[in-house]
Amino acid sequence: MNHFIRPIFIAAILLSGSLRAAETDDQAAARKAAFDVAGAFTNEGFKLRDGHWKGALELGKPQLVQVNLFAGNQYWFVVGATPQAKKVTLTVYDETGAPVATDPYSGDSTAAAGFAPTVSGSYYLKIAELEGDPATFCVLYSYK
Amino acid sequence: MFRLIRTLASGLAILCSSALAVDEPAASQPSAPPLSAEEMAGAARIDALSIPTPGELLAALDKVGKIDWISKFRPPIARDFSSRPQMALNLGGLIADGYIAVEAKDSQQVKNLGRDIVALAKPLGVQQDIINRGKSLTEFATDNQWDTLKEELEATQNEVKDAMIENKDINLVTLVTVGGWLRGAESISSYVAEEKFYSSAGAMLLRQPGIVGFLSRRLGALPEKTRDDPVVKKTRAKLAEIETAMTFPRESPPAREAVEKLSNMLSDLLKDISRKEVK
Repeated sequence: MNHFIRPIFIAAILLSGSLRAAETDDQAAARKAAFDVAGAFTNEGFKLRDGHWKGALELGKPQLVQVNLFAGNQYWFVVGATPQAKKVTLTVYDETGAPVATDPYSGDSTAAAGFAPTVSGSYYLKIAELEGDPATFCVLYSYK
Repeated sequence: MFRLIRTLASGLAILCSSALAVDEPAASQPSAPPLSAEEMAGAARIDALSIPTPGELLAALDKVGKIDWISKFRPPIARDFSSRPQMALNLGGLIADGYIAVEAKDSQQVKNLGRDIVALAKPLGVQQDIINRGKSLTEFATDNQWDTLKEELEATQNEVKDAMIENKDINLVTLVTVGGWLRGAESISSYVAEEKFYSSAGAMLLRQPGIVGFLSRRLGALPEKTRDDPVVKKTRAKLAEIETAMTFPRESPPAREAVEKLSNMLSDLLKDISRKEVK
């Protein structure tokens, strides 16, 4: 897909997501923050998955979600949060619970981790807030 | 609806195109403490993130070898089932067929599948949404916009599920997911099972215990009436066998013969699901 069409589709996914299910302003803001980061990866040939996970985040109460990945693919996992969260992290763990090495990215209320698994199977994403007040987060990922 | 979204979306494109530029980062060494068994058991598992799309599966398979995707087409299936769970399972399978047709870059097959998807979606009450999608699929196929078609198929699957949720048919969502996953897994296993294409890397793609386990639990949590549907019963029983076959150590890919057995299991189950009368 050329670089002009791709951003349109990201925007379309954003819009279709908001049409699909009623969401709060905070959830929409968190999703927008995550999409803004993920948009950069789609310019690198990563395909954005049309799906996300959102919820509440606060200091000392990290959130975990299981994902299932395929060896050979490359992934970028992204978390976006509302501005109440000053610093967030996203850590990837393998199925034994051991953290794996990732390419990190960190921004204002956002974080991302690039990962290319050598083994297919289940992995876990841990989203944590390190600084700030209770916030809303949204996680999504892209792959190629 | 998608036309409207696309029109509206163009306004947002400018915003999106100014998204962050990403520099090549250095890989971080893991320093976090490991997760406990309780933490892993308590992790969220959700359809929208925990189950890979057929597109992810096929992207991984594409890296294993040059695949003759046309050989992975299957004959057209019936479109007039009397059981709603069976319709949902087959709808998921048809959407996965769409991904295979896109990989094969066969525009006529994409159009045919688009028509089949619309026909099967009608009795499930998601007709109008999917008719719009079907039109988009046909247009993109005519223009050979293969990457766009992948996006469209993923959106189609999500829109089917959303419409089912709106129609209070939430149980059917699980069945669409299961149908799509089964078809994707069958296409991978049938490729890897071929003697000339078998490889450890290909066989390792079939290591999916987390996915099968998740889907099995979701099927087990369906209401009794849905669980009692013959096709759902058969799918649940076979998934238990499939889970065993797709659960193997990280270091030990299954032998070609084991992959062939798995491929036959998946293929037989898909044939049963698409049969008008399942016993």
